[in-house]
Amino acid sequence: MSRRRASITTRLTLLFAAVATAVLLALGLLIGNAVEQHFVEQDMEVLSGKTDLAAHLLEQVRSPADWATLPRQLDDSLVGHHGLAVVVLHPDGSRVFATPNAAFPDALLKPAGASSKPQSWAQAGQPWRGISTLLPTGNRELSPMLVAVAVDISHHEHFMSSFRQTLWLFVALAAVLVGFLGWIAVRRGLAPLQAMRRGAAGVTANRLDTRLSLDAVPVELAELAETLNQMLARLEDSFQRLKDFSSDLAHELRTPISNLMTETQVALTRARSADEYREVLASNAEEYERLARMIGDMLFLAQADNGLVVPRREPVDLAAQVRELFDFFDALAEEKGLHLALTGSGQVSGDTLMLRRALANLISNAIRHTPKGGSIQVRIETSGGETKLAVENSGETIPAQHLARIFDRFYRADPSRHRSDEGAGLGLAITRSIIRAHGGEIGVRSVTGGVCFELRMA
Amino acid sequence: MKLLVVEDEQKTGDYLKQGLVEAGFVVDLARDGVDGLHLGETGDYDLAILDVMLPKLDGWQVLAGLRRAGCQMPVLFLTARDQVEDRVKGLELGADDYLVKPFAFAELLARVRTLLRRGSRNQEPQVVRAADLELDLLRRRVSRGGRHIDLTAKEFALLELLLRRQGEVLPRSLIASQIWDMNFDSDTNVIEVAVRRLRAKIDDGFEPKLIRTVRGMGYVLEADAA
Repeated sequence: MSRRRASITTRLTLLFAAVATAVLLALGLLIGNAVEQHFVEQDMEVLSGKTDLAAHLLEQVRSPADWATLPRQLDDSLVGHHGLAVVVLHPDGSRVFATPNAAFPDALLKPAGASSKPQSWAQAGQPWRGISTLLPTGNRELSPMLVAVAVDISHHEHFMSSFRQTLWLFVALAAVLVGFLGWIAVRRGLAPLQAMRRGAAGVTANRLDTRLSLDAVPVELAELAETLNQMLARLEDSFQRLKDFSSDLAHELRTPISNLMTETQVALTRARSADEYREVLASNAEEYERLARMIGDMLFLAQADNGLVVPRREPVDLAAQVRELFDFFDALAEEKGLHLALTGSGQVSGDTLMLRRALANLISNAIRHTPKGGSIQVRIETSGGETKLAVENSGETIPAQHLARIFDRFYRADPSRHRSDEGAGLGLAITRSIIRAHGGEIGVRSVTGGVCFELRMA
Repeated sequence: MKLLVVEDEQKTGDYLKQGLVEAGFVVDLARDGVDGLHLGETGDYDLAILDVMLPKLDGWQVLAGLRRAGCQMPVLFLTARDQVEDRVKGLELGADDYLVKPFAFAELLARVRTLLRRGSRNQEPQVVRAADLELDLLRRRVSRGGRHIDLTAKEFALLELLLRRQGEVLPRSLIASQIWDMNFDSDTNVIEVAVRRLRAKIDDGFEPKLIRTVRGMGYVLEADAA
């Protein structure tokens, strides 16, 4: 894998860590806000409690004597609470009462600025939170007093800052931890992939029978594994055929070449007459011709396999072709006392030369396998845009296990049959290639007292 | 008749030359495309046999060069690849015939003779003869020593081919293609049977025997058979 493409593990690990960090951050902010809100409410409770107390005391003030005792009363009831600052302002601006630490922001001390909304400020390095309220006194003639109450909230701030510190630390640790756990999970999750990779790495030309185990694979990968297995099966099948074919080919070549070698070398062992030499050369020439024909056929099949055989499309009158072929094989059929018959007619679109070759192979195959005095019937039928052509010959039926392979290259139903009275075993393979190149199909079946090849073309 | 053969493969070239010389031709052999083109332009040849795969200039280029230089002799191509494109290309460039390697020498010889004959087709004789065998093309009758012989249409055509080209060895593939229009190699012995039947009709009971099998090559009709 190249450096530039990050691995799935790295990507998922980073993703997990990022998501975890984001979620924890949001959660931390939410909790922080909630705690702070809680503190504000707590402070407000204290502040409004003190304000109520002040309101109550101010209610009691009716006479000047009351005025005199008010500061003490306020002092008694309000002070004693550490970190509390109180200011009571007369409407004329004079301070009726003030704790020593009372340093309120000016805005809070203006009657217009009186607000029950808490305000925070710093004073001598300490954070404070306070509210101010206009409170009526017992003397209705007097304007309401402005009472400002504040609490020192430094312990809250301390708590919040250490809380935040802990939170960030936790978030950072959690992100790392989640990333690590994610990494482990991904590694474990991807383990089947590794196993598949190892399985696939074990596949070689000699071990194409290896299959990926489907049991150990999670559902998501099962389909992939199955597809890979199917691919392997196809490869194995093709490879097997290729192997069979190569060994068949080697075998098919070995026989004529060994004949040629022996014959030539025996001829060379001592001086012979010109006639004898001629005989050897002629015999060799025949063998060479067979070899050349075989190579030509093999090349044709190889081209057909690679889709290089592209038939021309012209109307082909099948009955006329069969009649011409009957004419060609006439002498041969007559010698064996075979009866050739044609029924029906039909036209297909295809390559005349190729189709003639395909039909010639079928007919010569039939002639070869029909016993003396037998008959060969070619039937052509057209129905629904499809043309069927059947070549049926009388004679022995072919066992089912041979029927399936009869179109294979070099395949012979009877291996002991002498080579020279048969073709190279490529005729039927060529016929099938030609029919397939035309988009048709060809099949073979045993019928009572004979064999029937049937091809269908559009 | 003077032939030019351009073939780089040592053995093939030598044997082609020997075979053609023994068949009565004068043969010049070039080993690469440049020599071949030079010879073709300067010598006066009746026919050229070109291999497609040649060093320096390939067969197509030699052919194109020859045609540019105004050489109109028939050209026969030898190719190791039987590809449709090759055939089309050759015909477009003005090749007259082609053979796919490996080919039978008799086939090459027959094609060369066909190409050479093409240019100088004389008045068709009405009657072709060999020894006391007579084939009357117009009346479609065959007789030997004055005796009438009954032939089927294909037998008549086969005999006509053998008679017209008497003395030439005709390979089976050529006969199949000329008489039955079977332009592909067939591994059947149809031609053997057909020739045997024809021979039975025209040679049995007559002397000399006219139709001879040349093993490994084909069939020949000769009046003065050795």
